[in-house]
Formats: sequence, C-alpha cells, structure tokens
Amino acid sequence: MTALRRISPFWIWVAFLLAVIGVGLVAVFLIFTQGLGVTGLSDGVPWGLWITLDLSCIGLAAGAFSISAITYLLGRESYKPLARVAVFIGLLGYSGALMALVLDIGRPDRFWHGWVFWNVHSMLWEVTMCITLYFSVLLLEVFPMAVEMPFLAKYKWLQNFAHRIHHFAPVLAIMGLGLSLLHQSSLGATYGVVIGRAALFRSTMPLLFIVSAVAAGMAFTVHITLIVQWIKRRELVPNAVLFEVGQIAAAVLLLYLYMRFWDTTAGTYGYVPGRTEAENVLTAGPFAVSFWTWEMILGGVVAASLLIRARLRQSVMLLLIGSGLVMAGLIANRWHTTLLAFTQPLAENPAVTDPLITAYTPAWTEWATAAMVVAILTLLFSLGMRYFPAYKGEAVPEAVTAAQPVPIEGTIPETG
Amino acid sequence: MSELTREMTRREFARLAIGLGVGIAAADWVWHWFLAHNDPAAQAHHGANPDGPYWSMAIDLEQCIGCRRCVNACQATNDTQDGHLWNILIKDENTFEKPVFLTRPCMHCENAPCVNVCPVQATYHNEDGLVVMDYDRCIGCRYCIVACPYGARVFNWGERDDVNPQVPTWGTPEIERRPRGVAEKCTFCVHRIEAAKERNLTPGIDRAATPACVNICPVEARVFGDLRDPNSPVSKAISGRQSVVLRSEVGTNPRVFYLLPV
Repeated sequence: MTALRRISPFWIWVAFLLAVIGVGLVAVFLIFTQGLGVTGLSDGVPWGLWITLDLSCIGLAAGAFSISAITYLLGRESYKPLARVAVFIGLLGYSGALMALVLDIGRPDRFWHGWVFWNVHSMLWEVTMCITLYFSVLLLEVFPMAVEMPFLAKYKWLQNFAHRIHHFAPVLAIMGLGLSLLHQSSLGATYGVVIGRAALFRSTMPLLFIVSAVAAGMAFTVHITLIVQWIKRRELVPNAVLFEVGQIAAAVLLLYLYMRFWDTTAGTYGYVPGRTEAENVLTAGPFAVSFWTWEMILGGVVAASLLIRARLRQSVMLLLIGSGLVMAGLIANRWHTTLLAFTQPLAENPAVTDPLITAYTPAWTEWATAAMVVAILTLLFSLGMRYFPAYKGEAVPEAVTAAQPVPIEGTIPETG
Repeated sequence: MSELTREMTRREFARLAIGLGVGIAAADWVWHWFLAHNDPAAQAHHGANPDGPYWSMAIDLEQCIGCRRCVNACQATNDTQDGHLWNILIKDENTFEKPVFLTRPCMHCENAPCVNVCPVQATYHNEDGLVVMDYDRCIGCRYCIVACPYGARVFNWGERDDVNPQVPTWGTPEIERRPRGVAEKCTFCVHRIEAAKERNLTPGIDRAATPACVNICPVEARVFGDLRDPNSPVSKAISGRQSVVLRSEVGTNPRVFYLLPV
C-alpha cells in the first residue's frame, strides 16, 4: 500500500496515456503494412473519422490565433497568460492534425508531394501550404516558453534567440491571423467547392467553418485552462479573463448560430435537387441527434447562454460546462458535415439524388489511432503544463531572459 | 529612439525599395514560369489542343441490352478489382417509360472536378484532353473521389492479390495493377490510343486502338471516335439522335454522350 501511495497520480495518468498510445501503435502498424483496407472507409465513404479528428483538431486550435490577435494586436495585456496557453494548445492541435493526415493518406511516404507538385487550383493544396506555414509560426511562438526550462538556461545563444523571437510576438500574431483566416476558412471551402455533391456545394461553408472555429477555439482554451487550474489547484489565468473570453466565445457562437440558421432554413424554402434531400437527412435522419442535440441545442444555444450566465454569476462551473459544450458542438458539426457529403449515391446512379444512407462505422483501427493521437497530444500537454516554467504558476523567471545581453537594442544596460 | 520608430536614412530607403522591387520581380517571374509549366488549366483546360482529336464516346440507351460485357472486358483489360470497377452497369427503371441499362465509364470532363481538387496534379488532362492519372505522384488523399460528380473513381485500399475473374474469358490485362494507396479511374484505354499514334491507327475504327468496352459490345451500343471528325463513328452515331450528358447542371462538360431511347 505504501509503495502504491508513493506513485504520484501524474505518473499513473502518464502510464494510462502510454497504454492508449500502445494500442494505437498496433493499429498504425496494421494500417502502414496492409493499407487503408483495414479501416471502415470505402469508395462510397472515402473520408470519415480521421477527417473529423483532423478538422476538429484544427478548429479547436483556433484559440491560438484569435486570442493572440486580441492580446498582441488589440493590446489586451491581461490576456497574455491565456495567450500562452492558447498557442501551446494550438501547436498541439496542429500536430494532431498532421498526425491524422499522415494516417489518412494512402501514401504517407509521399506526404511531401504537396510542397513540390503544386496545384494552385486545389483547396487541399492551399490548406497544406497554410497549415505547414502556420505550424512553423506556432513553433516560433511556443519556442520562447520551451527555452525557459531551467536546464536550458546555460545556453546563452538559445536564450538570445528566444528573446529575439519574443520581440516579434505582434508580427507572429499578424502572420498567424493571416494564415488562420486563410486555412480555417478554406477547410470549409474544401467541402464548399465540391460541385458534384449538393450537400456540400455552398459558398457559406468557409464562413461557417471559420466562425465556428473561432468560437470553439476560444471556448476550448478556456475549458482546458480551467481543468489544468483545477488539477494544479493554482491560478494560471485570472478568472476575470476567463469569463471575458468565455463571453466573447458566446458572442461569436451566437453569430455562428444565426448564420447557420439561415444557411439551413433558406434551403427549405425551395427544392434544390440533392441539397434538399441531404438537409432532410441532416435534420430528420440519422444525423438529427448530432445536428439538433449537439450542434444546435447543447453546443449552440445552451452553451452560449451558459457562457454568458457564467460571467454574470461568476460561476466557474457554468464556464467549464458551457465551454465544454461548444467543443462538443464543433466536433459534432465536423462529423455530420463530412458524412452528409456521402449520402448522395453517385456510384449507384449519378443522376439520382435520393439519399443513400451509406453504412460507415469506423473500424477499431480508426478509433484506436484517433485515441492514440488524442493521447499523444494530452501527454505532451500534461508534460508541458508540468515542466514549462510559463505554466507553473510561478512568475516567469525574468532573471533568465533579462539577464542576457540583448543585442537588438543597445540601450538596455548590462546587468549581472 | 527605438529601432522601429527611427526615421529611415536615404540609403536604407533605397536598399528597401530595390529589395522590394527585385523581390516582386522575382516572385512574378516564378509565378509566370509556374503557370506556363505547371498549371493544369493552362495545359488542357478546354479539350486540350483545339486542332487535335476530341475523343468521345456515345452510349445508346436504346440499344444497350445490359449484358455486362463492357463491364467485364474493362475489368479484364485494365485489371480492376471486384467492387472497384472503372465501368459499371446501372439498371434505371424510373427515368424513362421503359427500363434502360446505363453503363458508366469516366466522363473525361473538360471541367473535371477531380483535376481541380487534386493537391499534387496527380490527375490531369493529357495532351488529348483525356483525364488520366500519374500513379507515382498520387498521395492517396481521396479528394478526387469526394469531388467526382459521377462516382467514377475508386481507391486501392490494399495490396492486390486477387484473381481477376474476367481473365481470360473477356480479355487479358494490358496495364499493370496499381499500387496500394492510390486512386484510379477509367482512362478510355489511353494506352491503346497512345500506341495507335505510332502505328497510324484510328481510334474508334481500328479495333487495336479502340477502348475494350466499345470493341466487345455485341449491339454496338457503345461507339468511340473523334467528335471533331464528322465521319467518325461517334459523330455519325450522335447525328440525328437526341443525346444527353449526365448531370449537365454541374457544368463538367463530359465527353460521354448518352443517346436517349426512341
């Protein structure tokens, strides 16, 4: 008993995550040796759980660019601690998306083709470019926090470099904003340009994607921060900031619901071949629970009112539940948006618009690898929260950065 | 005064201006070089070479008896897998007064959604305007399968070790099996058309240069040829008949014309 008690809960948590990753690696081995036939995907439903994971990771990572923009471009100094959490979540989110993509493409050995063989007409090419560029921006944004680790303090050049990067935080925020405004929307446009599938082909798709991502990304950052604070029993970000960001997320979410309402209902005022049938499947078919319960009600109206009430009543619990529901709503949206595309039975008869409820159940290999990706991200996040000085709740060790000679501005007096 | 707010010297301004100018010129040059060499739209947007042949297929819904021979011959010749065929047969009982058999190859669209969406130009219009694949370039993202309005694209979900059930009854494989992890599609038997150029044969007339599905048809419901040549079999078949293309509302401009039942 005593021996067991000595193991810290943190390492039990790490062991659990490693077990999930272990199971996932078995599935990865199967996928990489036998091909995508071991998944539940087919010619009729070529995209499924992994694409949902990919889109959700990127959508939930949108807190990085939106909170950075508020902090560094609108000058909200008090948001800085939250921005630091947000960019770390962002970096992990994009890492997860890249992992899911490598699993999903049939030829992972050719992942680099997108950078070499350009097709500027392809939304996926644009997405590839933006995601990899933005991933580098996020790396630069997280880098100064990583080199605050005490054991790196002796490498002066590293510290200098980090300090220099930190000077460019506003520039990185602008780049992040630009790249995110491009690819968060063009992920929606990836579906929106598919003229052959009436359920997808609509110009509102990019707008819906980015607005929902901003709402869910901010809410998700708040949600995760609250959980970390609860586990660490220590304040990372002042509550006032969390309530405020929760309320901004609620406002963006209401804007999204308004747009989504008209996007969906306008289609019911007339008959559009294929689209009307798809919308019936969405609102009254097998996706009705995902659409109404999760996206519209719990992840939409309920979440927005909880987030607003949370600030009025200063209730952390309401903030936690509300922000969690926004996250769930975004995942549900990405799931049924993807699968709705494949209800038109093109291979049965391209001219027919009657919905076909294509049987797609993700195989265990897909679930195991998706869980693995989430576990890897959670593990990295847990380690970061435990070891990065920026999140330890301590004052950021000013001595580490300020004591270095700073070559950018000659006016700073030499110290220590 | 801080670095950012200090006024520029004349030398710095000149340096910045020259730098920007050279940068923009270089980017412009790269862009135009890229468009000239790499842009699928520039290569073959509207039927490629305007003086070259316009390969098309006519499929007569009146004649087709639904015997599946074109489906089988395609599977044998192009060595496709059961359940992932390039050419399929659909029985349509609702569109016309009588049931018709509709066979569906690739439409070889002029405005091909699959060509537009492919992030790496692994699918493209060849010099004749046919939509073909570079299996060595495809990354297997399956965006083309999502984008195709006709469900004409299939994927290699695993390494092939199946026995082709149509060989040798309906033909023998003329092209290699595709590797695991890439998308594939009907090519109008482009290997025959390419070979015909060297041997001076006419696709649609000379059997060795004509798609397998057209050759095998016992009732001549499928006809192939150059639509720009008024004497080609396909031009003759279409003239005087009502023809449609599938899903004209999506603006793909297919090369496959269906002759309506009379």
